[in-house]
Amino acid sequence: MIAALARPSLARVFRTPRSLLAVGAWAVLALGFALAARSRGSANGADHVLVGAYGALILPLLAYTLVGAVLGARSLSGATAPLVLFGAAPARAAAVTVGVAMVAGVVVGAALASLVALLAHGSSDPPAASDALASAYAGALGGAAYTAWFALGASFGKRGGGRAVLLVVDWVLGLGHGVMAVVTPRAHLRNLLGGAAPMGWSGRASAAALVVIAGACLLIAVRRARRA
Amino acid sequence: MITLEGVAARRAPLTLARLSLSWGPGMHSLVGTPADGGPLMLELVAGHARLRAGRVRVLDASPDDAAVRRQIALVLLEPPLPDALTAAAVLTLAATLRGEPPGDPVARLASLGVESLAPRRVGTLAPEEARAVALAEAVTSTCVRVLLLEEPLVGMDPRAAARLPEALRARGRDGCAVLVATASLRDAADLTDDHVLLRGGTVGGKTASLAELSAFSPDGVRMRIVASDPQALLAAVASEDAVEAVARRDGAVVARGRDATALAAAVGRAIVISGVDVSEMRVEPPSMDDARAASAGVATATYEAAYARTLAALAPPSEGPP
Repeated sequence: MIAALARPSLARVFRTPRSLLAVGAWAVLALGFALAARSRGSANGADHVLVGAYGALILPLLAYTLVGAVLGARSLSGATAPLVLFGAAPARAAAVTVGVAMVAGVVVGAALASLVALLAHGSSDPPAASDALASAYAGALGGAAYTAWFALGASFGKRGGGRAVLLVVDWVLGLGHGVMAVVTPRAHLRNLLGGAAPMGWSGRASAAALVVIAGACLLIAVRRARRA
Repeated sequence: MITLEGVAARRAPLTLARLSLSWGPGMHSLVGTPADGGPLMLELVAGHARLRAGRVRVLDASPDDAAVRRQIALVLLEPPLPDALTAAAVLTLAATLRGEPPGDPVARLASLGVESLAPRRVGTLAPEEARAVALAEAVTSTCVRVLLLEEPLVGMDPRAAARLPEALRARGRDGCAVLVATASLRDAADLTDDHVLLRGGTVGGKTASLAELSAFSPDGVRMRIVASDPQALLAAVASEDAVEAVARRDGAVVARGRDATALAAAVGRAIVISGVDVSEMRVEPPSMDDARAASAGVATATYEAAYARTLAALAPPSEGPP
């Protein structure tokens, strides 16, 4: 049943060249930043690229694109409407659809973060292998949190316009280090990638916060789909 | 099979006000424009729209019930289908979700004559073709027992439109409840056996026969005859006293009269006199406004008859001769 519910979302991602191209473009941009840092011979190349480009720009926009691809640029309820029409429970259809986006976010986020860490690795960065692993861990958590965050946004508005609103909210609130930043994926991802911590939180606390953000966004999105 | 008890719902600018209706197996119609609430009622029955008050029961349970939901097929004017899948894959997916044997999707599409759409992706289908795929799924599902259709003959692939009426009737005969929302009285008369006339979210009337209703229409009854020599028939019909008006329309002769029986007799005489061969003859359904007015007229007449009977029953007995 879960495979059947996931089928339309997977088909949207893999059979729509435009969405694959968009995801590929963000990935290429991240790798471009990494190669540029390497060619400059930057001592903290991985650190700079992961915090400055990957965490701040690439991963949020990549997750935004991924969610759009999974939902077919519709609202969450619009994307699950065909499944509900054939008798699927709205909440279950929404959960599986968001789940597909989150799995894609985890895989792409982790793979891209580790690749960036390896490519941009500088002399003052931690050992390459452990840095790649730590980056993959942060990228996976960030990918999950961001995709759930944007899926929640897509449950608002007729065409899921809330997705763009949450992108702006993350950008605006996540820039700071205060209490408002704590509710955004951006601040915690930055902390995990070696940047400034929100309210001085530890890396473990930020990892837990990303899990909580992902879970909470998933639950609220599913709950909203059930009531739609 | 379908029961609405005091149902109220709102979708701006429309409000459905305290509707109580029920339908069993067979073919039924909700006649009215979308602004009268037909599509919204279909969505309420399918559990896809929110109730403000009242209760909807489908197959003796709430339409939100998982077992019931699988047995309901809702096909609106623009059915949302998974656009990245092929038509055949859509039918396979639907069968999996409904919990029925998948069957051969091509054969299922062939039931409406659209088997050529099987390998095409839904995103590449014209809206008429997508509707045909959605209807083929609904009509051929072995699990579905309640079919809710908005304007089934409008915006429909012509191959499917030709086969759909018989396919729907077959489902009705098999014990399914087929509820059609349409603004066309002709489609309602052709497809279904009883009709609820909607007006601005309320029930304007109920009738088992739109043709009978036309007898109460302010404009009278219209009869359409397709004959070998329309001009000769027109002349003969025009000379009949029971015919108030006669005209040629699309190669057919349309006659209007006050009384259905007298009109039929007059047309019959005219056919014999003119000696034409008749290939089609039928009573035209009234216009939407005529049907509503006629329905209101039936209600008024029923009330007045009941009022007169009650008065007569309550009147003191007249004193007889000493």
